[in-house]
Amino acid sequence: MAPPWAPHLPEDILLQIFAALDVPDLACAGSVCSSWHGAYTSLCNLGRWKQQQTPCLLYTAKSRGQSAACLYSLAEKKAYTLALPDPPIRSRYLIGSAYGWIITADESSELDLLNPITGDQIALPSVTTMDHVKPIYNKNGVVKKYEVWRHNDNPSKIRVFGLRELRKSFFVKAFLSSDPSTGDYIVVLIHRFLSQLSFARSGDDHWTLLHPHEFVADCVFKDGILYVLTQLQEIQAFDFSGPAVEQKLILDRIEIYYRYVRMYIVQAPCGDLLQIRVAYDHSASQPELDSMEEDGYFSEDDDLPCPAYSTSFEVCRVDLAARKRVQISSLDESVLFLGLGQSLCLHAEGYPKLKANHVYFTDDDGFMFLGANNRRRNIGVVSLSNTNIIENITSPQIWSNWPNPLWITPNPQKMNSAMGGSTEEVQAPSTSCRTFGFQHGWSVALLFLVFLLFVVSVSFRAPTKFFVCLPLNSALHS
Amino acid sequence: MASAGSGDEKAAAAAMITLISSDNEKFEVTEATATLSQTIRHMIEDGCTDGGVPLPNVTSKILARVIEYCKKHATAAAGEEGSSSSFSDAAFLEVDRAFLEELEEFDDAFLEVDRATLFDLILAANYLDIKGLLNLTCQKVADSVKGKTPEQIREMYNIVNDLTPEEEAEIRRETQWAFE
Repeated sequence: MAPPWAPHLPEDILLQIFAALDVPDLACAGSVCSSWHGAYTSLCNLGRWKQQQTPCLLYTAKSRGQSAACLYSLAEKKAYTLALPDPPIRSRYLIGSAYGWIITADESSELDLLNPITGDQIALPSVTTMDHVKPIYNKNGVVKKYEVWRHNDNPSKIRVFGLRELRKSFFVKAFLSSDPSTGDYIVVLIHRFLSQLSFARSGDDHWTLLHPHEFVADCVFKDGILYVLTQLQEIQAFDFSGPAVEQKLILDRIEIYYRYVRMYIVQAPCGDLLQIRVAYDHSASQPELDSMEEDGYFSEDDDLPCPAYSTSFEVCRVDLAARKRVQISSLDESVLFLGLGQSLCLHAEGYPKLKANHVYFTDDDGFMFLGANNRRRNIGVVSLSNTNIIENITSPQIWSNWPNPLWITPNPQKMNSAMGGSTEEVQAPSTSCRTFGFQHGWSVALLFLVFLLFVVSVSFRAPTKFFVCLPLNSALHS
Repeated sequence: MASAGSGDEKAAAAAMITLISSDNEKFEVTEATATLSQTIRHMIEDGCTDGGVPLPNVTSKILARVIEYCKKHATAAAGEEGSSSSFSDAAFLEVDRAFLEELEEFDDAFLEVDRATLFDLILAANYLDIKGLLNLTCQKVADSVKGKTPEQIREMYNIVNDLTPEEEAEIRRETQWAFE
């Protein structure tokens, strides 16, 4: 028997229904009929989708091709495949994730922001604008290598990297102050050598070094202030609201350097800052540090043994007023997400599928970053009340080891709708800054091409796509 | 005691409201029940409820269900108020929890309706501005579409797909990943 006819629901009611959906379900509901699609579009444009999206694991798999990423939904225990814009995601390094965007380094070691749900992409200022990096040109005026030196260091200690090698040794982790689809954000980057910090505001054409901070382990933006935790457990606060960045010491360093300890800083649902130390006991495992071929990627098909890591967690509440750390034994109703993405601490109540007092972790092991890609990654869920038992996210594992999987909170906000007419203004500087890498003759030709493309992109399609295309055009010119 | 009781009864009797459905059926409800609807509350405040409140957008079948919901939730609200003055904190919490559990059971049973009725309840809750009922029914629809394909959702709610093949292809291109 046919179901009874259902009446038409007005858009404000559809908005309320859709606001309760996680992003995959939202996309399906948005293609039921024209009125449901209209509500879906409005919801995304208004930024009124469910803010408590359950984090997903973003990863790649050889079987899905070079340009696809997969999203494993913890809410539905289901994997989705996303087709992503060029350059192919499996050719990139992933160095961060926040507000549903990932930060990637391409094969020229240039950085982009990418929203895997919408396909929006933003080119960040060129790596050659960083204090430590200088381009080396070939005779045609094309960047062929990078010269890198330590800040204030002896010039004789300059090291030279190939275009794609730089990212391997140079980038550590990147952070965002806010959702880039709003057009107003700050990117903060931990980079070598000595794990220093540089930042770029939306619209900047260069990176600015925040010195002299070294051994930075993790960062978090809270109420517009950047809190920086170092490997020596020093916490500094940076205020970006004025023209000059203001800095304040929150907690002094402890002069013990733990080699195999990873440090994270995160904002708890109550607003407090938490400092987390995770110790991986590498002696318990036998890391396979055999050198890989340059383009060798670990495949989920390869049956590698899982190293028996033993992992311990220590959580401290950072008392900003009393300027001290207080160790806590339980997260109570909170859930932690740790890894290469922005560390997250959520209240389990809003996320029925997540386990309270548990840590969801992906390993952001530096060894892997340095090329030992063929070790199995330590990814799982562990209860803080018993850290001996690590549950798998999926069994068997469904992800390739490289690029490294990370947590992402899906964000369906399309950039153009949110930014309106300001897109070009925000984007233009980052375009030109990547153009500066070329000598004058080519620059003029390129700028002309840029102008042409600009006109075309403005009249036909999303301006962002054009900026993404630019490095490719540059390559053609060479 | 007796006089106080009769006083209450008098007040209650005085505060009866007549609701008239689109098919002209009349429902007598207490003011406490009726004022769960912000729309009716405003009408009472404006003094335009004499001779009954016509609700041309709500059928008698749906209005009966809405009143059932409001009665239960109005009683629960009154019960909570009463208990707060006559129990210790611990006892109050206990009673409070019992109320909430009972309400939850009621809500679950209340939502066991066919899909068309569910949509009608949403429209009535929206028109009458009954926040609790609107949240409850919208959440029910949201829960029902979770993990479903667009085609399954259309079948479930008998929704006609009025998208042109081109529009559908365009939407699919944007959100292809969600359809697997």
